[in-house]
Amino acid sequence: MPLLEVDQLSIGYDTSDGYLSAVSDVSFSLEKGKSLGFVGESGCGKTTIGMALMGLLPPNGSVRSGRILFKEENLLGKSDEAMRQIRWNEIAMIFQAAMNALNPVHRVGDQIAEAILAHRPGVSKDEARHQVKALFEMVGIPKNRMKDYPHQYSGGMKQRAIIAMAMALRPKLIIADEPTTALDVIVQDQILQEAKRLQETLDISMIYISHDISVVAETCHDIGVLYGGQLVEYGSRESVLESPFHPYTKMLLSSFLTVSTKRADVVIVPGDTPNLINPLPGCRFCERCSYYEASCKLKALQYVTISPTHKVLCSRCG
Amino acid sequence: MDIWHFTVRRLIQIIIIFFVIFTVLFLLFRLAPGDPISRIIDPDMTPEDATRLMAQMGLDKPLWMQYLYYLKNVLSGNFGHSFYYGKPVIEIISDRLPNTVLLFTTSVILSAIVGVFLGKIASWNKGKRTDTFMTMGALVTHTLFLPWMALILIWIFSYKFSWFPINGMISEDVWLDPSSGVVRKGLDVLHHMILPLSTLFLIYFGSYLLLMRSSMLETLKEDYILTARAKGLKEKTIRNHHAAPNAALPVVTSVGLSLAFSINGGALTETVFTWPGIGRELVFSVSNNDYPLAQASFLLIAAVVLFSNLLVDILYAYLDPRIRY
Repeated sequence: MPLLEVDQLSIGYDTSDGYLSAVSDVSFSLEKGKSLGFVGESGCGKTTIGMALMGLLPPNGSVRSGRILFKEENLLGKSDEAMRQIRWNEIAMIFQAAMNALNPVHRVGDQIAEAILAHRPGVSKDEARHQVKALFEMVGIPKNRMKDYPHQYSGGMKQRAIIAMAMALRPKLIIADEPTTALDVIVQDQILQEAKRLQETLDISMIYISHDISVVAETCHDIGVLYGGQLVEYGSRESVLESPFHPYTKMLLSSFLTVSTKRADVVIVPGDTPNLINPLPGCRFCERCSYYEASCKLKALQYVTISPTHKVLCSRCG
Repeated sequence: MDIWHFTVRRLIQIIIIFFVIFTVLFLLFRLAPGDPISRIIDPDMTPEDATRLMAQMGLDKPLWMQYLYYLKNVLSGNFGHSFYYGKPVIEIISDRLPNTVLLFTTSVILSAIVGVFLGKIASWNKGKRTDTFMTMGALVTHTLFLPWMALILIWIFSYKFSWFPINGMISEDVWLDPSSGVVRKGLDVLHHMILPLSTLFLIYFGSYLLLMRSSMLETLKEDYILTARAKGLKEKTIRNHHAAPNAALPVVTSVGLSLAFSINGGALTETVFTWPGIGRELVFSVSNNDYPLAQASFLLIAAVVLFSNLLVDILYAYLDPRIRY
């Protein structure tokens, strides 16, 4: 039994323009110690999935159908108090540090200690401080910076501090939402290597959420490509990267720059993101797709199984 | 930079600003229409006597010399004699100022504490009945006209029920009685203070409530609130430990400004309740051409504004580490 199994999950938001289906029938699973990466452009539903796993959807958002089985228990049926106990203790999150993820008026060390004290009633303040010290060492921040405030940290240090905070309670699962966005590429690489190393030594499962396929390609065992709230391609890293089937995945991979890429080789995906208030019954990508046929728009889609570890949501494949 | 370094630097800035204000005030009073000595010159005086009087007061000297004399006197604590009372200005001010400070500081602090507390609760229950009730209540009391509110309170509680004295700050029979101790005198002042305090409280707590409420609603959208939720903290901890300290910052500014304006802005309240404070004295001195008293009062206002700004800055630096640049 995998650590996390998400089954036919659909999530929507009530907006002033109507009901917006942000995530439609998404299923995936994650084994202990493995990592899964979700890629897609803004509004594809990747952050919504992360928030639903934490039970932190905004007030106008709700899970319409599906199940989230974590350690064989459905999280969607849990009470608020039970979810509060699970948060950070079992499922933690790494936020984008460029955002104000750390509270500006509290010391960084105290903010990490707070998470420990909130979930471990038996731990004294001194013990918590010792644990924070160890966490700082683990992620490579000098421990005399524990008493500093977030604004005294550089972007990379803040990101390390957030990773330390996520590891504080040794959770089973960590969701990293845009963990390196807004950091320069060198720091980005250091942070990703650091996170990968910690994940492997501590045997934590991870879900990476990014708009940048290179981040996911570098770190994850499995990759899920999201488009318009649908999981259009899902499989092991090797099969998705080496033999992508969905036209959107192919386009994402060819818009991915490497040192050897020539300027003319970069493909820009044309068109706009789909309207999710009254989505098409068929393929949501069809208007931007070069393999488009009239039937794509109307026919409800079925997953095509390429191999046991690779499936695609496209009527033109398979 | 630590908080002491910060305070000393602000203090030096404040002293410089005070001297600028001092100079501008001095010049303004020389430019003001009306003759400073017309009040004290008898129409029967001969022109020679009047000139001698001018010379006695130093008004025949050039302006820069007058300025230096004034500066020297003020620095040695001499603000001159009031034309109206014939007493040293410093005596009048030290007599009146504590009364104003007692009434207004108490009311500002009380309404800020209650306002922040209720604003926090209102924002947490946004859109629910508690919120609607509190917001409406705050809007109504805040927009009422202060003297009207004062008169209504006097009419109900002093006139109809006779629970509180109609005006003044002390009862003569209590204070002249040699047997009454500090406690009895204190209670007497408190008894007189309740109505003006309630008036100010009712008018001002609403603005703090509304300010805190909107500031909280902004803060609750911040990313660190999401982090706090994700950390599985209790809702109460998120509200009091993560949202409120950040949201209270604009309220602190507002409290500082109110403290500064309570000195002059209190004239209305002090008049309605015949509270022997500095605000009433200031208005009185201006309409009486009592130049020494008016000039000293304006300097006092400047000093109080600057001082409360300093207090706000220090409090800010304490609350928000980013300020201690």
